[in-house]
Amino acid sequence: MNKRKFNPIKDKSAEIIEYIMASPDIPDDEGLQFKIRLSVEEAVENVVRYAYQGGIGWLEAGTELSDDGLELTIVLRDAGTPFNPLEREDPDVTAAAEDRDIGGLGIFLCKQMMDSIEYRYEEGCNILTMKKRL
Amino acid sequence: MEVKINTEGAKTLVELNGRIDTTNADQFQKDITPLMQGDAMDIEMDCSGMDYTSSQGLRIFLMLQKSVGSRKGKLVLKNMKAQVREVFDITGFSNIITIQ
Repeated sequence: MNKRKFNPIKDKSAEIIEYIMASPDIPDDEGLQFKIRLSVEEAVENVVRYAYQGGIGWLEAGTELSDDGLELTIVLRDAGTPFNPLEREDPDVTAAAEDRDIGGLGIFLCKQMMDSIEYRYEEGCNILTMKKRL
Repeated sequence: MEVKINTEGAKTLVELNGRIDTTNADQFQKDITPLMQGDAMDIEMDCSGMDYTSSQGLRIFLMLQKSVGSRKGKLVLKNMKAQVREVFDITGFSNIITIQ
């Protein structure tokens, strides 16, 4: 796995996103890159904004391609407050403008753009694993 | 991200170019503040140059729609690229903002 630990991560979203998108594991396909970038941005932002309540903390970002080259895995690990973003209820995408708020939209987009997302809390770390078939 | 705002008679024409993401969403919001605070009733946005938006951008489009809607004005997004359109479709934003 290609990985790097960012510490601290405050205001570093763009740097972390660009590190992941520059990985040799990311496919050279504009359409896939759009979907991957969107998922990565939403997931990274989630950690940078909320995991450490804006305080000091780290995030490790990793990418890996399956042996057959057909599946991309992106892993984000942090030691912030235990939080499973997948437990959050999906937003009501049929609500009228006046009733819409933006909460939960980021992770919802992640779920839609990726083929699978898993969360686990292990040894004091939040671990989010996103997979995309290429 | 580049935002150009022009007034043509009663119509406000806006041209969006580039990406709206976590790095520039605040700037984008500032750039279109005149459209939210003003009294423009008929806003047309040319999105042909908009390459990307994350939920950060959607949040601002929603704010704009709410403010234009509250004064009974009209907001239309035009010429959206297919992938950006997909983001609006998936999130149901195509149902609350007019896209042509």
